[in-house]
Amino acid sequence: MSTLLEGDLQMTLPPAASGRKFDGNAHGLSHCMKAVDFIVELTDKVLFVELKDPENPAALAARSEAFITEFRAGQLDNDLKTKFRDSWLYEYAQGRINKPITYLVLMGASTLSDAELLARTDALKRQIPIEGPNNQPWKMPLLTGCAVLNIAAWNKALPDFPISRVSV
Amino acid sequence: MSKITHVKVGNFTSFLNLDLAFSSGINIVIGENGTGKTHLLKMLYAACAITTGEDKEKGFALKLRNVFNPFEGRMGRLSRRQSQSIKTKVTVTKQGGAKLTAEFSNHTNKPDAVKVTGETGWQKEPLTSAYIPVKEMLAHAPGFLATAAKREIAFEEVYVDIIKHAFLPKLMGKTDAPRQRLLTALQKAIDGKVVAKGEHFFLKNEQGDLEFTLLAEGIRKLALIWLLIQNGTLLAGSVLFWDEPEANLNPALMGEVVDLILELQRLGVQVFLTTHNYVLLKEFDLRKQAGDAIRYLSMFRDESGAVSSATSDSYLGIDPNAVSKTFSSLYDRELTRSLGVIKA
Repeated sequence: MSTLLEGDLQMTLPPAASGRKFDGNAHGLSHCMKAVDFIVELTDKVLFVELKDPENPAALAARSEAFITEFRAGQLDNDLKTKFRDSWLYEYAQGRINKPITYLVLMGASTLSDAELLARTDALKRQIPIEGPNNQPWKMPLLTGCAVLNIAAWNKALPDFPISRVSV
Repeated sequence: MSKITHVKVGNFTSFLNLDLAFSSGINIVIGENGTGKTHLLKMLYAACAITTGEDKEKGFALKLRNVFNPFEGRMGRLSRRQSQSIKTKVTVTKQGGAKLTAEFSNHTNKPDAVKVTGETGWQKEPLTSAYIPVKEMLAHAPGFLATAAKREIAFEEVYVDIIKHAFLPKLMGKTDAPRQRLLTALQKAIDGKVVAKGEHFFLKNEQGDLEFTLLAEGIRKLALIWLLIQNGTLLAGSVLFWDEPEANLNPALMGEVVDLILELQRLGVQVFLTTHNYVLLKEFDLRKQAGDAIRYLSMFRDESGAVSSATSDSYLGIDPNAVSKTFSSLYDRELTRSLGVIKA
């Protein structure tokens, strides 16, 4: 069992999964490519995981405000899209796109209701074409699905990969 | 200026026992279909209506019957349905402690046979009120009142009443600043003013007069509120009952409607509304300011099938919340579809 850590959030992986922190020093191309936080490899699929944590207790108030501004201006969806695309390209060019990809965005915002999470999930799906032209499948799938979750929804949907706060 | 503070109900329509304390500001009733939201509003409206105008003569029992319009006009059909005989009691209380009570049984036929107590004291002080039904009525005004008066159509009286309220003439004297602000905001939303010519309502703006039948239903509703503010029906101390304000409104207009309701409350109007709409609820949560008084009344059926209630003064405290429950179900199914099963 291993864990992946980003700020105040910690993801625990079962023994059968291998995960790595993708958005860090090892990435090496952060000047030109954005990156999701974690990439987790399972036997049948790969998870791209992006964490947004406005409730991180250690975060500066200014950073939280910046997040809210970004969120309200709709820039967040754009940022999430770019992170997915750049991470996908990076992994493709490294010859590692050989399993279906699922893109998961975790919002560390406990006040987001299911209605808001549903709206954010729909918005994300509008940014990332799961299907190809004319609603037909891509010859080579970009991804199989994506969703926006908060910690409670994540732990309900992915009980084998629990996420918790380090500070609690 | 009095407010309704409390209602206690036993065996009325779908309610077994209902004991609710109200906010003097905004009361938002939520619940699934068939949990008695509209019944609650109509019951309270009947109590308010008999304090003013021609309804004073009718009295509580007859007004109750007329707003519910039960089959063959039989009061007993408003009792909760049971296999055995059943006693029904409704008590409405207002500030100062005045109480109005109606008691009858499932065998009671005529309103005269209903035991009403406290009516004289209750009627001493007028509680001006308006009930806005889900269905917009102004476009149907021509001929409606005359037909209803001849009893040629069996409509619930709330439909007749709202048309009568809309026809009231403009309040005399200078319009005070808060009311003018509301009227101006509404005029902007509906792009004009409302004028009545005979029994026909028109929206008047630079392009001319547009008959109500050609207007979107959502705009007609806002136009009705404009009329009620202009003619003084909605003033400090009055009570507004609004059944599903969201009906026929584009969600983009919901924020303006919520601002309008909040502003009416700040002017001293007590508001009772029902809703099934997440956007409306969330707009209240986001737009309310310190000092605004909002109470959420959640109606639900308990294990026995009888309607129960729970109240909360905060949006997140609503439990059960039939509206958010629906979204949770949608979200769960969306996650299942999008993610499938992710296992180690």
